[in-house]
Parts: sequence; structure tokens; C-alpha cells
Amino acid sequence: MRRGGRRGVARRRTRWRGLATAVVAAVGGPLVGGCGIQDSDVIEAGGPATVEAFLNRDADMLLFFRSPDGGLSPVVREVRPSAGFGDEYIEPGAVARDPSGPAGPAPTEKVVLALLSGPGEADRAAGLTTALPAVREKEAVQVEVASDGGITARLPLAVQDLDATAVRQLTCTIAYNQAKDGRGVVTLRGQDGAQRSGSCGLAPGASG
Amino acid sequence: MITVPRPGRPRDGGNEGADGAGPAAPTRRRSRVRAFGLRTRMLAAFLLVAAVSAGTTSALTYREARNALLKTAQDMAVSTFRDQVERTGWRLPVEEEGIEEILRDLARTGKPRPWVVFAEYGSIRASSGENPVSSVITPELRRAATADRYGSFERVVKDGVPYLTIGMPTVFKTGPDSTLPTGLVLYAVMRMTDEQINVDALLIAARNGALPGLAVALVPALLAARSVLRPVRELRRAARSMGSGRLDTRIPVRGRDELADLADTFNESAGQLERSVGELRDAEARARRFASDVSHELRTPLAGMLAVTEVLDEDADRLDADTAQAVRLVSAETGKLAVLVEDLMEISRFDARAAELNSDEIDVAEAIRKTLQARHWADDDRIRTELPPDIRARLDPRRFDVVIANLVGNALRHGGAPVTVLLRTEASSSGTLVLVVEVADRGPGIPAAALPHIFDRFYKADAARTRSPGSGLGLAITLENVNLHDGTIRAGNLPGGGAVFTVEIPLRAEEAGR
Repeated sequence: MRRGGRRGVARRRTRWRGLATAVVAAVGGPLVGGCGIQDSDVIEAGGPATVEAFLNRDADMLLFFRSPDGGLSPVVREVRPSAGFGDEYIEPGAVARDPSGPAGPAPTEKVVLALLSGPGEADRAAGLTTALPAVREKEAVQVEVASDGGITARLPLAVQDLDATAVRQLTCTIAYNQAKDGRGVVTLRGQDGAQRSGSCGLAPGASG
Repeated sequence: MITVPRPGRPRDGGNEGADGAGPAAPTRRRSRVRAFGLRTRMLAAFLLVAAVSAGTTSALTYREARNALLKTAQDMAVSTFRDQVERTGWRLPVEEEGIEEILRDLARTGKPRPWVVFAEYGSIRASSGENPVSSVITPELRRAATADRYGSFERVVKDGVPYLTIGMPTVFKTGPDSTLPTGLVLYAVMRMTDEQINVDALLIAARNGALPGLAVALVPALLAARSVLRPVRELRRAARSMGSGRLDTRIPVRGRDELADLADTFNESAGQLERSVGELRDAEARARRFASDVSHELRTPLAGMLAVTEVLDEDADRLDADTAQAVRLVSAETGKLAVLVEDLMEISRFDARAAELNSDEIDVAEAIRKTLQARHWADDDRIRTELPPDIRARLDPRRFDVVIANLVGNALRHGGAPVTVLLRTEASSSGTLVLVVEVADRGPGIPAAALPHIFDRFYKADAARTRSPGSGLGLAITLENVNLHDGTIRAGNLPGGGAVFTVEIPLRAEEAGR
């Protein structure tokens, strides 16, 4: 009897202790644990900011180079004859580069050649490089636009051995030169007869 | 003898020797404030409830307010930063020179507070502050800005200082509805010191709000505890009062709650108890008076009979043998009857609380020696004494004589020689000096079954020996006499055989002169 009673007391005491612990946890937890300003996770707050890049599609061309983190960075370059290119193109300040056609983007062949000639001084200063090999031939770039919007470019280099960044550099440069939104499918055909095609996919919201 | 009724001393139960719990049973006095008393528990319960509610409320309020505060500051900072960034223009590729001026412009117009702006483009790292690269921006934020291309923010606590870091990737328009990432990512880092101060103020306000709540909760807790404790205390006082013999104790009944019911029940029970005890007392008093009356009535005829039997005894030699034997038998039995009647009268005086103590300071050894001489035991070689001189005590000489004579006589009759009478003083467990008299014999001892009843009236240890020289009241009278001296007596057996009776009488400190 007596021992049972004592055990009952012990059990009651244990229950009290449990209750007290629960109450302290319930009250003290939020009070002590949540004081002050805490760390937070990374919280998304809308899309990127749109800045002015002074892109004049009639006078500038967009080239894509490799940034140090492995991605592509577009650079805006004024269309003008440079030492490395032939002088069949219009001098700076000329009224029209191509009197036969309407005013528009620089010819894609010229843009591709500019890309192949590698990053300029300012580009290199910002850490931009190219994944494309240096090319000697200057005449070998031909760009055709099919009726369905597909673009085919013949290039004076071996397409098979290009890495993914190099392919994307070419693809994006050609696509954005052909269309403002850069959506077209570009097929690269190299001297080696190999052929690779894809789209740029750099626009925000697009995959990749 | 003039008998003056002694002031009511509660009678102690029969066998004093069984345990030492005399009249000095410790009355437990408890302090009013107990560690886990009713009051403490009720206060604790009230405070707990108040603490839980106040704590939860203030914790939740604080949380919500803090989150709202932070959200406002963050949203404002992010939208402001986005607006500012969208107002800037960049040539691609971004050139390192001149970039810091743009960043400083951005930094100055930070809202709600100026911030430090960092720019990352290609391998260019620049800032409006001193270090081109922030140590606060986490890789997670950088990944969200560069890979996922989302404007994002993150709160970072570094060295106890909270910062808001915002990552903002930039795009530019390539056409009316197409954009392209520039590769430039701008970061803003803002110290949230003002927010910290506000949040701390909120916390302090929440805590300060909870404390008065606790203080207020004390008042009903104390009132409730009082309303319960007062009846309980009254009940306890009444129960103690009843325990000490005042059966007419009643409790005032207040209100109609459970405690009032309890008081009501207590009063009813007390009334019933008082009635039954009264009836029992009346019956007992009648029985005692009857015994006393009977022994009184018997004394007068017995006195006459004793005188006659004495004469007959003297003449017995002249009678023929059978008649002489009969005469001697009658004479002896009459003598025993006279002793019995005397003992009965003595016992009824004790029962009627009419026995009084005529104390005198005596030399105890001398008193014992006198007792033995009076019974012609002084030169008896069956009796050994160890009586140290100079032990003086305040005793009733007549009653002490009865005690010693009864114990020694009992030992001689029922035990075996030699009978030892030991006198000494010793300190009792409670620290007072006690007078100890031990009467031991070398007989067969007292059977274990008889020990608890040895001081009962008319109790005979040996059931077969129905006729003994004693009245059967000797030890009972001894017990009463010792009790009258506030002493104790106990019976036991010696390890080597033989019974021992131990009498302990406390020596009055101021009167125990040597």
C-alpha cells in the first residue's frame, strides 16, 4: 500500500516536471530563440534590373565572349573597319555600309569574323576571353538564311573539335545578329564537314 | 486522606514500557509558509498561467512586429536598389575606370539608408567602399544572382551585426521585348543597425509588458490562496483542539462552497464524537464508582471479620486439628480479601484521578533500605542491594515504598533468588537526569506472550497457578504510582534468564541536590 503510494507520488512528480519543461519550452523558446534579427535564406525578389547598354543595332554589333566564370558575356562593338579586316566595308562615318540593302545590322559574315579575331583590348581588360581558335582565312565565312528562319553558317575552322562555349559563342553571335531576340536556330558547318546546330538561349526565362 | 482532584492530565495507555512515547509526544508545529504548501502551489499555478499567456502573446506580437518591420525595410531597399540600378547605363564590356564613381552615386542614394555597392563583371571587382569585394555576401546569394539571374536578398549576421545583402543581376534590351544579361551583377550591402535598434526596442517592450501582467496575476493568486487557506487553517486548528480533548470545538461555516461543506461535516462529526465520548465517560464513571462503592462497603464488614479471625487464630491451637486447619484457612483468606479490597480502593482512587502526590525530598537509598526493613527483607540473603548513597530526589515516600515493595515482593514470589535491587542515576535520551531502579531476579523470566500484559489488572502470567498470594493488582498499582511521578516502568528478561523491572523517574533538575 505504502510503497504503491510513494510510487504514485513519484509518478506525479515526474508528470509535474514534464509539464514544467513543456511550459518553459513553449514560453522560453520563442522568447529566447527568436530574439533580434536572424540570418535568412536567399529570398528571390523579382527579376533582374534592366540597364541601358547604349546598343545601337544599326551601328553596333553584339559579340559574345567567355567570362571568367565560364558563362557568356555580350560586348557591344561599333562596326568599323579594323586593321585585321579587308577594306571592302564602309569607312566610319559613311552614310550607308551596304548601298544595295536597307540600313540594318552589320553583315553577319563580318560579325563572325570580328568574333573569330578574338576579344579586344577593353574586353581583355575586363577578363573576357574566347574559346575559339585563331583563324587566318578571312573569306571563308558564308551565312545563309533559309525560308523557315534557320541560319546556316560555313566557317573556316573545324567545328567538330569546338567546345560547348565556343559553339555557343558562335551561335549567339550569329543569332543575335540575325534577329533582335536571338531566337533562331543556327547550324554551324565547318571545314571538316561536321555540322552542329542549336539556339542561343541566353534570354532571361529561356532555359540555359 | 483528603483527595484533591488533580488537574486533568490525559491518562496514558496501560503498558508504559512498550515504547517510550510518554506524554512528551512532540507536537508538530509547522511554519505558516511552506516550501510546497497550498499557497506556494496556487501562486505558482497562477503565475505560470499568467507567464504562459503573457509570454506567448508578447512573443507572437514581437515576432509579427519584427517580421513586418524587417519586411518593410527589405522590400523598400530591394525596390530602391532596383530603381537606382535601372537608371544607370553601362558600356559593354564594362570598363574598370569610372566604375567606382557610378557605384558611389548609387551608394549615396540608398534607402532607407546608404549602402555599400559592389560590382562584379568578368574579372572586374569594384565597390563604392574600401574593399572591392564584400566579406558579407554569401556564395548562395552570388549563385542566385549569377546563375539563376534573380534579384534576391539575404539577411546575414556577421560578428553580431545584421546586414541586408541584395544581389541584382542586370540585363539590357536587345529589342523591344527581348533582353540579354550583361554579365554585370551589382550588390548592395546595408547595415540594419536601425532595424536592430527597433527590434530590440520591440523585444524590451514585449518583456516589459509581460512583467506587469505577472505582478497583476499575483493579486488574484493571493486572494484565491487566502480564501482556501483560511478555512483550511481553521480546520487544522479545530482538529488539533479536538485532539487535545476539547470536543466542543466547532468551526464557523462561511459561504456555500466545498470548504463550507467540509466545515459542516466536521462540525457534525465533532458533535457526534462529543456525544459518544460523553456517553462512554458516563458509563466509565458509573463503573468506577460502583467498584469504589463496593470496596468501601466491603471494608467495614471485613474489619470486623479480621478482628474475629485474629482471635480465632490465636485460639486455633486449642481446637482439634481439622477445625484448626479450617480456621487458619478462613483467617488467611480473610487477610487476602482485606489486601484485595485495599488494592481495589487504591486502584479506584487512581481511576477517579483522586490519587495525589505528597512529594518530599528523600534519600532514595535510605528509602529503599527502609522499605526492605519494614518487610523483614533487610537481612534476607535472597536479596542483594546496590544502593549508592547521596542520591536525593523529590518523591512521595509512601508511593515509592509501594513501588519497591511490590517489585521486590513480586520478584521473590514469582522469580528465583537472588533478587537484585540496583539504584543509579543516568542521563536520558532527552538529556534530563533520571533515577533508575532495577529489580532483577534469577527465576525463569516472564513468558514473551505475557510481557505486553504484565501490568494489566488481575493478569496472571502463569495461567495454571490461579491462586497466588497476591491480589493481582500489585503491578497495576506499581505502574500507576510510577506514572504519578511522571516516570516509566518496563518489564523485560535478562539475557541469562530471570525477569527485570526497570523504573525510571525523572529527577527535577533544581531539586536534585546532592
